[in-house]
Amino acid sequence: MLMPKKVKHRKQQRGRMKGKPIRGAILVFGEFGLQALEPCWITARQIEAGRIAITRHVKRKGKLWIRVFPWKPITKKPTEVRMGKGKGDPEFWVDVVKPGKILYELEGVSEPLAKEAMRLAANKLSVKTRFITRTIRELR
Amino acid sequence: MRIKIKGEIREIFGKNASRYLRREGRVPANLYGSQAENVSLILDKKDVFQILRSEAGENTIFKVSYNSKTQDVMIKEVQINPVNDELLHVDLILIAMDKEIQVMVPFILTGEAVGVKAEGGFVDFVTREIEIECLPKAIPENIEVDISDLHINQSIKVEEISPPEGANWISDPEAVIAMIHAQAKEEVVVEEEEEEEEVIAEGEEPEVIKKEKDEEKEKGAKKEE
Repeated sequence: MLMPKKVKHRKQQRGRMKGKPIRGAILVFGEFGLQALEPCWITARQIEAGRIAITRHVKRKGKLWIRVFPWKPITKKPTEVRMGKGKGDPEFWVDVVKPGKILYELEGVSEPLAKEAMRLAANKLSVKTRFITRTIRELR
Repeated sequence: MRIKIKGEIREIFGKNASRYLRREGRVPANLYGSQAENVSLILDKKDVFQILRSEAGENTIFKVSYNSKTQDVMIKEVQINPVNDELLHVDLILIAMDKEIQVMVPFILTGEAVGVKAEGGFVDFVTREIEIECLPKAIPENIEVDISDLHINQSIKVEEISPPEGANWISDPEAVIAMIHAQAKEEVVVEEEEEEEEVIAEGEEPEVIKKEKDEEKEKGAKKEE
């Protein structure tokens, strides 16, 4: 599962998910992409589940890029433990996703295949998403 | 024929005024360039869409008129809301028709590669656009790259194609434009995924980067003990 190799601090504060992404909101590598439309925490397990869903559906054809990385440790206190006595231990890793962030990019497969693969990956995530391509978007 | 659009001098600024303009079908813009003062403008969204949809896209040179002035300009940057695709802001740059400028021009791949047709590979389009230097009149809409001779694991680099007439490459000449990759086999995949699932179950913690001072303190504490 994805996780940083080294960290400066074992535990982090929760933070906020205000605003739009500073970068990572346009397709850079592939022809097709999956874009988040809501702010959320995406866990390393969800990212991995999405990746497996895509690679299985496209039968390892084409090339996949994962544009998110779970750099944020989330702590949890064990069950039936009284409050206090310090912060809990790191339990899992998440990435803070802001609306507009590209999660996956795909290249080398047909559009219908990529769309279906992204739909399957989106089912594994706890966020509303949309499928995007490089063709000129209808601007408003 | 060169596109002509009308602009108004903008005297209202800030978040509230910009949102009001966008609701009205207009968009805040800024015009700047060498040896000229910045001008804040209001443009019609439809005019900007017309320019973006034209064949040269953002590299289109057009005329903008405001306050009885008409100038040759080009779009420098367009800000778009990534979620609802709303046009937020446009930066325009003044163009001197006799001076060379640096622009990004897209590559277009032509022909079907041998590696895709006969060998079952796929095209990895690595560099989709390149920076060139040329006179404004000589800006090409796109640069065609023929990939029909490429086999699997072969690539085409910027240095292998000649720049368009009157233009020079600015980007790295060794940059790969496109490469033909072999498709991975399905059988191998299942094994790899099982291995990765095993790693997931382990649940390790990453190494914590410590400062030198902390390490010294730790050593000192051990000695005292």
